[in-house]
Amino acid sequence: MVTLSRRATLLGAGAGLALRTTGARAEDTLKIGVVSPLTGPAAESGQFKQNGMQLALDAVNAAGGVLGKKLELVVEDDQTTNPGAVLAFSRLAGRDDIVAFIGPVRSTQVNSMAPDVLKAGKVMMIGGTDPSLTHLGNPWLFRCRPNDTYSAQVIAQFGVKELNKRKWAVVFSTDTFGSNGNKALTAALEKEGIQPVLAQGYTNQQADFTPVVLAVRQSGADILSSYFTYENDLGVFARQVRQLGVRIPWVGSPSIANTTSLNLAGPALYGTYGVSDFSADASPAAKAYAEKYQAAYKSMPDIQSSWAFDAVNILAMAINAAKSTDPQAMRKAVIAIKGYGGAEGEYNFDENGDGLHGYNIVRNDNGKIVFDRHIELTA
Amino acid sequence: MSLFLQLLFTGFGIGAIYAMVSLGFVLLIRAANVVNFAQGEFSMLGAYAMLILFAGLGVPYLLAFVLSVAVMAVFGMVFAGVAYWPLRHRGQLPVIISTIGASILLANAVLAAYGPSPQTLPGMFDNPGFEVGEVFMDSQYLLILAVAALLVLLQYLVFEKTMLGKKLQATSQDKEMASLLGIPVAVMVLITFAYSAAIGGIAGVLVAPILFVSTGLGSLISLKAFAANIIGGFGSIPGAILGGLALGIAETLGAAYISVPYKDAFGFAMLLIFLLLRPQGLFGERIAEKA
Repeated sequence: MVTLSRRATLLGAGAGLALRTTGARAEDTLKIGVVSPLTGPAAESGQFKQNGMQLALDAVNAAGGVLGKKLELVVEDDQTTNPGAVLAFSRLAGRDDIVAFIGPVRSTQVNSMAPDVLKAGKVMMIGGTDPSLTHLGNPWLFRCRPNDTYSAQVIAQFGVKELNKRKWAVVFSTDTFGSNGNKALTAALEKEGIQPVLAQGYTNQQADFTPVVLAVRQSGADILSSYFTYENDLGVFARQVRQLGVRIPWVGSPSIANTTSLNLAGPALYGTYGVSDFSADASPAAKAYAEKYQAAYKSMPDIQSSWAFDAVNILAMAINAAKSTDPQAMRKAVIAIKGYGGAEGEYNFDENGDGLHGYNIVRNDNGKIVFDRHIELTA
Repeated sequence: MSLFLQLLFTGFGIGAIYAMVSLGFVLLIRAANVVNFAQGEFSMLGAYAMLILFAGLGVPYLLAFVLSVAVMAVFGMVFAGVAYWPLRHRGQLPVIISTIGASILLANAVLAAYGPSPQTLPGMFDNPGFEVGEVFMDSQYLLILAVAALLVLLQYLVFEKTMLGKKLQATSQDKEMASLLGIPVAVMVLITFAYSAAIGGIAGVLVAPILFVSTGLGSLISLKAFAANIIGGFGSIPGAILGGLALGIAETLGAAYISVPYKDAFGFAMLLIFLLLRPQGLFGERIAEKA
């Protein structure tokens, strides 16, 4: 009798203890589910994204966390593929302890997982710049980068008004990002009464761009604009542009100014312009972020990390402002964010979920990316 | 006209890359009867070896090149021991699957060790190229063409004119008979894998200045090289070369004159046509079915 009850007591106490520990552990942290490319062709950008998120996470947690708890990231690999992204998200969507998500930077992957995000019904911060992503009728997608209608308008405005060029050649990847970029740029140019003399698509991961470069040369264009998804493609293209004697001004989508492109293409990109949502000299917040990043990782930050840094901060702000992790309350809190100075720029979330509405023009000055001007759009 | 010549030159250059990787395939098919889907990864590893030796340790270019190729030859033997030898009696399919597995493992092992950043590797010449008329000749492409031609000659001589080559071929055709005749089958297989990996390494080092050093380098070219092999004739050395060149030229011209987004489709359409109309390829095999 005595032994039995003692054992029962011990068991009971043990079980209680176990319950309490697991309970405490689950409540210790608020978890954010992250879908990132850890392998595949975009694995490098996944690493930069991780760096950016970690910087924000450390700062948020050092400042006392969110609702008195520490934030934690749960990362799943999307393998830089659409099926991989869907699979990675499904592993996260089933978990009740995850309060919000940070999605991929590539539009095509965001697009493929968007229906599942709608089903999951929780806020997801995304980096993909395909304009349609925030116009799918999906209330849960929030963008921490300006979308491509803005980049296209800024490219068109800069090329037409500042550089006075009217014969445009557009080279774009045929994936979601590139073809929508092309559409947006064509539309923006149309507003200026301009039809591009060449709109040339290519498929990702090419070993050679000679036919494309020659098409640009033959077209008689006086300005080149590009939407490249992968830096190695951009690197091969840029070198052949120089080798085959194309000397016209070149204004590219953000990838033209990122660290990897600069390393790969080297002198081939000197003198080119790019739109960039992140530029270290664009604002005090951007400058502070750049210094922090350099101190932590000994390399220059770029767009692959800055949006992710902002995403973590915005989620933390939204949860604190909503005073709960209820998805609807969090959604309202994100939309309520106005005038927040992040690393990417000033966030004013609109009803569609777009946080940013302008772009920086940057210039490649012998391998150094310098801030040229910021163009803010009201549309 | 200058436009066409420029495209032709580029097509030849790209084709020579396919051809070189394709040569590695052919060797293993001919001598060991193995279809090696990790052939592209041999190139990727060769490029990384070069990167470490030349850019990392500062070994002079030519010495680093030779060392990289030697490293790959040794790696080829290790690869044979791990991915091929234990499965050699189980028929072709298990070996093919084993090489596919090895290819995934190698690409991801390098990713884990060196990270995902693509790296640049300088070419052998400081001069990026020169213009002949209005055609720009990339010096690296010229080098690739020259080395590819040299390798073909070497390979032809080895296989057709030496006892070693005959032993290698005998091993491929009938291992049991070969071993009854006193040919050391295991040694022949090891030699083939070493040579094949070395050729893969050479291709990697030569291609890297154009396509950069990244873990995806292998998959970018190996599928096309495999297609080149089928177009040229499975297991045929001149076929691998011609198949590679034909593929490179068809892609480049098709892209320029028909459609850039369908560039990859031209190569694979060509593959389909050959499979349907001339499955033995440009240079059909003298021996219809190998044992």
